[in-house]
Amino acid sequence: MATSAPELPYAKIREDLFRPLSGGSARYWITICAALSIVILGLVAWSIQVRDGMGVTGLNRPVFWGFYIVDFVFWIGISHAGTLISAILRLTDAAWRKPVTRAAEAITVFCLMIGGMFPIIHLGRSWLFYWLIPYPNPRLLWPNFRSPLLWDLVAILTYVTGSVIYLYLPLIPDMAQLGEHNVPWRRRLYRILSLGWTGSDREWHALERAMKLMACIILAIAVSVHTVVSWDFAMSIAPMWHSTIFGPYFVVGAIFSGIAALLLVMGTLRRALGLELYLTKHHFNNLSKLLLLMSLLWFYFTFAEYQTVWYGNEPSEMAVFASKIRGPYAPFFWTMVFCNFVVPFILLGIKKLRTITTAMIASVCVLIGMWLERYLIVAPTLGNPRMTSAAGVYVPTWIEFAITAATFSGMIVLYLLFSKLFPIIAVWEFKPHPVEEE
Amino acid sequence: MADFREQSKLEAAILALKAAGIDADDMDVFSEEPVEFRRGILDRPSRMSLVAVLGAITTGGLATAGVFAAQHNYRLITGGMPVFSFWGTGVITYETTMLGSVLATFGWFLWESGLLRKRDHNIPVPTVLPGVMCLRVRCSDPHVTRVRQILDSAGATDTVRKEVA
Repeated sequence: MATSAPELPYAKIREDLFRPLSGGSARYWITICAALSIVILGLVAWSIQVRDGMGVTGLNRPVFWGFYIVDFVFWIGISHAGTLISAILRLTDAAWRKPVTRAAEAITVFCLMIGGMFPIIHLGRSWLFYWLIPYPNPRLLWPNFRSPLLWDLVAILTYVTGSVIYLYLPLIPDMAQLGEHNVPWRRRLYRILSLGWTGSDREWHALERAMKLMACIILAIAVSVHTVVSWDFAMSIAPMWHSTIFGPYFVVGAIFSGIAALLLVMGTLRRALGLELYLTKHHFNNLSKLLLLMSLLWFYFTFAEYQTVWYGNEPSEMAVFASKIRGPYAPFFWTMVFCNFVVPFILLGIKKLRTITTAMIASVCVLIGMWLERYLIVAPTLGNPRMTSAAGVYVPTWIEFAITAATFSGMIVLYLLFSKLFPIIAVWEFKPHPVEEE
Repeated sequence: MADFREQSKLEAAILALKAAGIDADDMDVFSEEPVEFRRGILDRPSRMSLVAVLGAITTGGLATAGVFAAQHNYRLITGGMPVFSFWGTGVITYETTMLGSVLATFGWFLWESGLLRKRDHNIPVPTVLPGVMCLRVRCSDPHVTRVRQILDSAGATDTVRKEVA
């Protein structure tokens, strides 16, 4: 006779998921300090750029977009991890999503915060960023509403607002619980943030309805945001940018890198916070399959894009094509193909090889590959404009490297702080479940 | 206030109270996780979807009108092309429409859940243990005995009477 696996009681779930909020190991603080020191280095680099001007970067004519725009597209892409994946899984009522969604939603908010900084850094005169906002002013200048750059601003502001609310709503019941037993400052914080939640059926009804509605709305926003980001490129007639598939191509790439980021964060949190009973092999297996699917889709879109260019044989497009396939950008291009397609295909496609460790290795590769993909979209096209005599080369400086590294470290700092303030898994959503055998 | 450990008993209590003339608005169920009732037990009608749509239309419409007004007041040189075009404004209209629905949904959630409204702090709120559902019934003095009988016969594990201060 089959015996059912022992079930985790609710009290243990609560204790396990609230425990990481208190205290902090030496390893935790060392990681925070190391990441913060890189963030400080990035701030120093940025302050030098503000003092001396954009000349300290490798940006030049005709390559006037470089690392900053690459980073912007990359981070906005990763932001699709959370809200989009969480919304899809919530709407399809996938039961396995519950331990995954909050980790994913937090990624979205932090990535948007980081990604949203890059247009400001890229402006050079960052203190004038508010000129982007349409308001009547004595200069009698209004932003050009037809510019995809302004569309970007509106789209990202909408996405940030939606994502913060989407993260905040399911946190309310957990914060109400945390407000009951805690040290005074935390108790005050959680009580304020939980808005006096009592757990009545009216509140639960409203919360569930709001979450369902928000999931629908956020899906529509997420798809539009990365489409608008792609239009920053596709609306110009630059070679290999002016493409109708750029919208879906960017969305696919965004979800692809987003899932990779989510797997990486989940794997790290599982070990660091001792959540082995909650983030199980089952979750990694499902997300690995999704990552593999997105890898295949990404390959399909990339192949379709390059095949069309090659077949068209249009000289200015072929100059960009050649620079990527066999020119100065070839090492990056083939590394991208290896990281985004070969590695996930082997590690995640062969069932025997698909483990938590290989899923994390594949995720790291995908993140590297997707950053390179963004770089290969930006730099080669600008370096090979239609007027061949204006061709140029982009060589980034340490300032750009430092600011890029700082954003990755900034992400680590934000996530570590978040995991100490809020439960990384929604306790109220997490019903008692059988313990999974590893 | 009465504690229940089984949802079926709680549902039976609610139905019996409704049959005894207690209004659904005078009943609240408190729990640490959402309790899903069958239709007709304790329905809470909502206008959240409608509000989200209205919010979307309002914000999207206002933003589009704002862009229209701005473009006509500060004319850009467009080389003979129309100053205002839906193709050029479509993204802004779309995004602000979505923003409107997000804000309206959130605002209505706060209103409908009662979190935003001024509370009557005199009404007691139970402390609920994990796995327990607490039914709070508001009724006047003459009905207390009857309500208590219904709750006890439905299988409440702990029934407490609390006066509104």
